[in-house]
Amino acid sequence: QTRVVSGKVTDKTTGAPIPGVSVIISGTRTSTQTDRTGAFTLAVPADGAKNLRLSFVGYVTKIVPITGNSLSIILEEDAAVLDEIVVNGYSTQKKADVIGSVSSVTAKQLENKPVQSFDQALGGKAAGVQVTLPNGVLNNPPVIRIRGTNSISLSSSPLFVVDGVATYSGDASGSSAAGNALASINPNDIERVEILKDAAASAIYGSRAANGVIVITTKRGKPGKAVVTYDAWVGTTKARNLPELLDAYQYVELKNEGLRNAGLFNQATRSFNLQNDAAGNVINTNWYDYIYRTAYSHSNTIGVSGGTESTNYYLSAGYTKQEGIIQHNDYTRKSMLAKVDHKEGKIFAFGGKLQYSNEQNLAATSSGSLSGEAFGTGGLGRLAIVTAPNVAPKNADGTYNIFNATTIGRGANVGSDVGFYNPAAVLDLDRSNNELNHIQGSVYLQANITDWLYAKSVYGVDYIFSDNDSFFNPINGGSAASGGSASASFSKNKRWVWTNTAQATKTFGEHNFSLLVGNEQTRSTVNGFNASRTTLSDPAFNSFAAGYATPTAGGTVGENYLVSFFGSLNYNYAKRYYLTANVRQDQYSAFGADNKKGTFYGVGLKWEIANEKFWTKAGLDKTFSSFSLRGTYGTVGNTAGLGNLASYSFYGTGLYNGSPTLVPTQTGNDQIGWEESKKLDLGINFGILNDRITVEAAYYKNTLDGLIYSVPQIPSAGLPSEPSLNIASMYNKGYELTISGDAFRGKDFSWSPSFNISYNKNEITSLSEGITQFLTTTSSLESASISQVGGPLGMIYVVRTAGVDAASGRRIFIEKSTGKKVLYQQVAPAGQFRYTYEDGTEAKNGISLANDASPYKNTQPKFSGGFDNTFRYKQFDLGLTFTYQLGFSIYYGTNSGLRDQRFWNNSTDMLRRWTTPGQETDIPKIVNGDNVSNGSSFPIDVNVFKGDFLKLRSASLGYTLPVSFVSKAKIANARIYVSGNNLLIFTKYPGSDPEVSSNGNSNSAAGVERNSVGNGRAFTAGISVKF
Amino acid sequence: CQKELLTPASETAVATLDLAQFSTVLRVQGQVLGLYAGLRAGDFYGGRYPVYNELRADNYIAQSSNSVTAYQTYMYTLGNGAQEVTGFWGSAYNTINRCNLFIEGMAAKGTGVVGDAVGKNYVAEAKLVRAICYYSLLQLYARPFYDGQGSKPGLPLRLTGNSVAGNYDLARSTVAQVYTQVLKDLNEAETDLPLTYTTAVNNTIRAHRNTAIAFKTRVYLSMQRYTDVITEANKIVSTAGPFTATTGVAHALQADITNVFKTPYTTTESILSMPFVNGTENAGGQSAIGSYFFGTKLYSLNPDGIIGDATFKAADKRRSFITLSGGLPYMSKFPTLPAANFADYVPVIRYAEVLLSLGEALARSTNSVDAKALALLNAVRTRSDATTVFTAASFATPSAFFDAFVKERNIEFLGEGLRTPDILRLGLTFPARGGVAAVPPTSSQYIWPISGTELLYNKLMTDNTN
Repeated sequence: QTRVVSGKVTDKTTGAPIPGVSVIISGTRTSTQTDRTGAFTLAVPADGAKNLRLSFVGYVTKIVPITGNSLSIILEEDAAVLDEIVVNGYSTQKKADVIGSVSSVTAKQLENKPVQSFDQALGGKAAGVQVTLPNGVLNNPPVIRIRGTNSISLSSSPLFVVDGVATYSGDASGSSAAGNALASINPNDIERVEILKDAAASAIYGSRAANGVIVITTKRGKPGKAVVTYDAWVGTTKARNLPELLDAYQYVELKNEGLRNAGLFNQATRSFNLQNDAAGNVINTNWYDYIYRTAYSHSNTIGVSGGTESTNYYLSAGYTKQEGIIQHNDYTRKSMLAKVDHKEGKIFAFGGKLQYSNEQNLAATSSGSLSGEAFGTGGLGRLAIVTAPNVAPKNADGTYNIFNATTIGRGANVGSDVGFYNPAAVLDLDRSNNELNHIQGSVYLQANITDWLYAKSVYGVDYIFSDNDSFFNPINGGSAASGGSASASFSKNKRWVWTNTAQATKTFGEHNFSLLVGNEQTRSTVNGFNASRTTLSDPAFNSFAAGYATPTAGGTVGENYLVSFFGSLNYNYAKRYYLTANVRQDQYSAFGADNKKGTFYGVGLKWEIANEKFWTKAGLDKTFSSFSLRGTYGTVGNTAGLGNLASYSFYGTGLYNGSPTLVPTQTGNDQIGWEESKKLDLGINFGILNDRITVEAAYYKNTLDGLIYSVPQIPSAGLPSEPSLNIASMYNKGYELTISGDAFRGKDFSWSPSFNISYNKNEITSLSEGITQFLTTTSSLESASISQVGGPLGMIYVVRTAGVDAASGRRIFIEKSTGKKVLYQQVAPAGQFRYTYEDGTEAKNGISLANDASPYKNTQPKFSGGFDNTFRYKQFDLGLTFTYQLGFSIYYGTNSGLRDQRFWNNSTDMLRRWTTPGQETDIPKIVNGDNVSNGSSFPIDVNVFKGDFLKLRSASLGYTLPVSFVSKAKIANARIYVSGNNLLIFTKYPGSDPEVSSNGNSNSAAGVERNSVGNGRAFTAGISVKF
Repeated sequence: CQKELLTPASETAVATLDLAQFSTVLRVQGQVLGLYAGLRAGDFYGGRYPVYNELRADNYIAQSSNSVTAYQTYMYTLGNGAQEVTGFWGSAYNTINRCNLFIEGMAAKGTGVVGDAVGKNYVAEAKLVRAICYYSLLQLYARPFYDGQGSKPGLPLRLTGNSVAGNYDLARSTVAQVYTQVLKDLNEAETDLPLTYTTAVNNTIRAHRNTAIAFKTRVYLSMQRYTDVITEANKIVSTAGPFTATTGVAHALQADITNVFKTPYTTTESILSMPFVNGTENAGGQSAIGSYFFGTKLYSLNPDGIIGDATFKAADKRRSFITLSGGLPYMSKFPTLPAANFADYVPVIRYAEVLLSLGEALARSTNSVDAKALALLNAVRTRSDATTVFTAASFATPSAFFDAFVKERNIEFLGEGLRTPDILRLGLTFPARGGVAAVPPTSSQYIWPISGTELLYNKLMTDNTN
């Protein structure tokens, strides 16, 4: 005897019907599915059937008693479901089954932030992942280090995989405006990010996994009625903590004092003087006003998601326009993402995605902040602090104030330049723009052969077209001496990835197996051309297409190919004993003929003690809801940054009196191979109070061998270049701890903190026979970084000092060979010397970097991490994210420029300069022309500071509008918020921002600031609406 | 998977697999010209090598103290790590290695591609370039030959090509051993070089038979082997004036010396010169010979140097190479300005040198005011200064006659980098000038120190000690 029960299933949040929900009579096999209207009918035995079990992907499974013949059932979207799944490359796993070290970051933590790319928002979110925003230039790729710096010559940046396709990363711009390749992804389109840190998790990526792997999964359609989301924010950003500079009055006073002290002052021929403008006011220019600005930005994303049990779709469009804190540094992104997933019958599924973005990365000229730009004459960060405050940007007649093609006008100053380029002229007239068109698409076909076996084929493309357009004006600046110039370049980066996998998942009793095998090919090519044209025919034009006298042109071409076979086995017995084994064989075109092929593996074991009977017996389950021990080990590789053709020796072409030449240009190494990283990881994870609080602790050690190092060869051997050999060794080891949970969970109020900290130690163990150290330069000019065997990469390398001699006001240096104090004076009167010992005798060797510098401080943070807090009170939410880095130093090279006694403007530090015998001060007597005493000529310890910081990186306060209120407007959910980024910095570092790198992604020259533009402080207000 | 994609070929450079750089006639020719391009490098004959040899001697006063532009060379304060010391060393050895690789590659493959006759010519060119490299290195890094008859430490003598990373430790050969190799290369080059090329420009910028002979006169003169100088010079100097080469390229003095240093720079007086082409083959801004002496005016002429010599008369055409600027005299033999990228040819060897070397060798070997020697001296002098004709009576002693040759060379080759080798070969003292003390042959500053990077990585290498 049966009766018919009917019902309707709706979504708790939206109230929309949910089609395709599985409805089963508990304890039986009788089941049905809801139809398009969310309705179902089911014949129920009259007796015995008490409950219905309703389940659907992405919703909390619900068991409801059969009370009556017509049921109204509400299902709740399961936020926790997302947290319980981990995407580890080629497949997904339940979090509980994961053995390797994986950190997850979810959409909520990344969306609606005033950033250009999601990776800029990753800082502090995961233990062992150090994210540094190197400067305030828009769309600049952050420096990301997973468990330390893992290479010397190649890249130490992780591999990024977007929806299964290993994507381009790094700066794709060819102009002075940065263009992070990853910014093509609208952060609001990201569902989740996984960070694979150890070998067990990352070995499936083989030769590319040594720096860790960041796996990005974008949003996909969810079954049900279409859900429309709209997110928008507006915001402002301002430079913060700029060094305080001398004003015109102070400048004139101090610079004349310097001239007098040098014996050079002569009012008529050599002096600095105030000058009045046309209105009779003293010209007192704050160049910050011309170079920096209050920037305005906004961002809009609209998305629609929906589907049925068989076909789901997600479609989004984004538009963001952001301004940087430097004038004319703009970023615009138009992005679209379309995704479709379809199940055809019981066996086949196919679908795909297409993501397109158009990005404009605009800049007037060099910011002086990107890698290699630090000493650029026109770098805006530097022009702001160098240019004299007693001259005006423009003359009374409106023309630019210039002295000649490359220097600003001197105003009333006599006998000396007072600046380099006129900042106003280059900002107004020059441009260095980049446009990226980025297409990422993929299609897949999956065959579910049986309920335990499927095969899948994915073909993806990643195309970046990078278009650069630069112009240098003929009036003042970089190309003015040659009558202006324009350049254009275009580069096509194209990659396709074809992945074929098969996965079997089967359970035999308590034995749970999952086996994945696959094959993958990755092919990348680059093609580009560039042209520059010099000497503009008519100064009224500024287009590349205008008339010019001299053209030059060139091109680039490159290719590589990676073919791989891989397998992954996951096994557990009774959810107690877990085993994972991953293996990948890669063949890569850039490797030497005999070394094309490499095999990588990772194995891991885990013991979930909480599932043991003795655990329960001992009553430990009352405290610990989960408790696991795990250990993993494996070998992975690094190839990122290796030249496509590094294995070959080359002869290149040139000219000899117009005829072609052919000469050796590259010393190849046909044995070149991957860098090897052996990764050990030991960890304990446990949860207490029903996993309300979870703790993850890990110890790791990455042993790096075969690191590529360009080994200097004997000069008389006459080789054309230093060959790259797999020869150096290094390690990173450390600890990580993450504690997160619900600290307080009440009806109206809750607090969910998450804290992570990691400690890392980096040490070079060998370089090459007979080589124990190497220097790394900042922008090819200053050698402030040294790496030594037995020490970490990139220590600060400076000459030691011992203050200022109170009697004479001279800088005291320490001569390294003798430890003696050496006093310096810029101008030595007759019979005296520039460098003298304390007794007045000449220090014959003077002081130099080569003779007197020594390794001084470490630049790699010992500790880094984050502290995330979410508070809720009724409809209000408050999020506070702190990040910190501790135990490192920064070489604040900018400071030496701020105290340089050439014509350069100075910081107000100089007001406490030495003037009187007996005066105790840290600032030496000022003498015109002195670029030695304060560290411009060679780096000195005075400009080294502790970089330790704690930042309130972001804070947001939101209010979710009551459903009763918004539902009248057919709105399911609406939240408004205000937030701030980079709000507070607790640090003793005197520069703008201790989170800085003038050398960008460099492995061995981190912790150097030279004329960079610091990160700004942003405030935003936004709204998120769901219909 | 597509296996062929695993071994991509470069689309812009020739990979050395299977000696592909020797696979076509064009590539082999390109390599030959590449040897000269090595010689023309900025650190070598592209400017700095002759500049160093000028600045070490007595004719200049520094107007800048920039160590990038040879100030330490000028001041004799060079250390092992100075850019000059490491840069020239590297540049010369880089070119030597090109020659070695080329000579080996021709034997293995190239000669088969271009044919025996042409192959011989090319290998001879490589040997000549290699000889110039070793000879030039000796002038700066080794004691002169006279000092112990070549027994002093010379250079690591590398005669095999290096193309991959390796252990290249090699000790110094003696000065004599290196000279022996230089002469062997030049003798073999003389045999196999073509007599002439079809164009005047190739006769100037590539080696032909007379180039090898001419260079031998320079080498033997440096070794004070005067009879050998005479033997070689006589092959290309007619027995009586006007002196010309009677075989091969018809070398002769130009009636007007200024024509030698002007477009097209390809008179028969220029035996070998390094060409530059404005726009496509620019001389380096801080290495161009013209930038030191005229274009950027880094070094003015020393009024107490040769330009202050009373016998260097005002009417002498060679004084037209001295230009006053800001009250200071500058050497304007290489007058092309930076705007035209200093595109002057840089002479390696000129016919005037062969004549003066022959004359000096005749004088010294006979220890007399030899008549032909006198004719040779006059040939060079009177070409530029018709008012001065030396006679036997002009020289009280043979020694005064010898000195006249040294002085004539000082005048004639001012700015061309011969002054330091002339001082060294005779063991003269570098005179004091402009606050820089004299450097006698006994001084450690008499020659350069060895490249610091060579000493660092070549475990068998030794520094110059006094």
